[in-house]
Amino acid sequence: MSFCDHDAGCITCGDVAVELVVVAVDADRELALCAGEEGEKETVEIGLVEAVRPGDALLVHAGTALQRIEGRA
Amino acid sequence: MRFVDEFRDAELGRALAGEILGLVEPGRHYKVMEVCGGHTHSIYKYGIDDLLPENVELVHGPGCPVCVIPMGRVDDGIAIAETEGVIFTCFGDMMRVPGSRGSLLDAKAQGADIRMVYSPLDALRIAKRNPDREVVFFAIGFETTAPSTALTLKRARAEGVPNFFCMCNHVTIVPPLRALLDSPDLRLDGFIGPGHVSTVVGARPFEFIPADYGKPVVISGFEPLDVLQSVQMILRQLRAGRCQVENQYTRVVPYEGNLKALQVMAEVFELRPHFEWRGLGFISQSALALTEAYAELDAERRYEVPGVRVADPKACQCGEVLKGVIKPWECKVFGTACTPERPIGTCMVSPEGACAAYYNYGRYAREREVV
Repeated sequence: MSFCDHDAGCITCGDVAVELVVVAVDADRELALCAGEEGEKETVEIGLVEAVRPGDALLVHAGTALQRIEGRA
Repeated sequence: MRFVDEFRDAELGRALAGEILGLVEPGRHYKVMEVCGGHTHSIYKYGIDDLLPENVELVHGPGCPVCVIPMGRVDDGIAIAETEGVIFTCFGDMMRVPGSRGSLLDAKAQGADIRMVYSPLDALRIAKRNPDREVVFFAIGFETTAPSTALTLKRARAEGVPNFFCMCNHVTIVPPLRALLDSPDLRLDGFIGPGHVSTVVGARPFEFIPADYGKPVVISGFEPLDVLQSVQMILRQLRAGRCQVENQYTRVVPYEGNLKALQVMAEVFELRPHFEWRGLGFISQSALALTEAYAELDAERRYEVPGVRVADPKACQCGEVLKGVIKPWECKVFGTACTPERPIGTCMVSPEGACAAYYNYGRYAREREVV
């Protein structure tokens, strides 16, 4: 059993937001495979962000992309 | 260089601190509330308050969704989790929040099938893999996680997953702020606005603070330089006699927010007439419930829950901490009976709770001072 890491912050409100870079997009299912800083992979909902492309940087909360991070694509 | 490094530059931080010193009027005491638990966490982790002049006080606000969950809701969650055949899923922090008869973690130890998930989508996956079980997601969070829950519920319905349900505890940020501003025992000069809630709701919902209460708001990022710059922007407004909503966190917060997210939330959720906040009491229209269209996915309609209001423990002063009336270390049980390992109050549970953040970082500096 692991809990939120006190160094990383709390996932509940995701205030230490996860910045992930899009690796591949499944537009039909509105999902993207994204990679974190250490290369870890995560499937992310992209239904709330327009026209996501590989290489885009996304601000991700609880598995859902909320915004594109400007100037990082 | 990591993206965040440029927002942690010590030289720039010292320069900003110097500029802040030049903005304060001697003899005036400034109280600035950081609304969001993420800011509280950053402030203690990076020692930001040590860089500020003595007469600039940061007050911790109610913006940690774990901290504001009342004991009665935890009891309701445990009642569902203990239902035969149910797999109960929630975020990790929620598992240690005490209810009146223990936490979800205690219920798990006693045999309930309670699993930690990182997203509602994970909970939906568990439901698909266990078609013979009923899977309940205990949804909590402000407008940062609510869109994620809404999307997952839409997906569950679209994909026809019949065994996925949601116990909705989502809360909204504006009503508690208004309640705080109306509170007679609190005097504040300005607000550091919640950065990531604002990626969804935008800056507009905070315009009532300058308009109705005459106080500046600066939407802020979470890195040390973000927070320092936001304090500087608030002090600049105060110095110039201005009050308005400004956006320091322009790299991710558009002024109008994320309209798609707001649409999805409006489709799936409706406002509850009232909701109890730990320490703050009942606040009108401050939380979300599933709309009639999603009634069949609503765990509160599917399962019997006690629905009993449970008073906060007497020794616990989370309410005063959440309102910024007292500092964490001024609570009678802080660091003794109440620690992150054995929390009495919710502020000690989440790393973004003011007490836990202070316990993990700030107390060392204070101990040095006392010695």
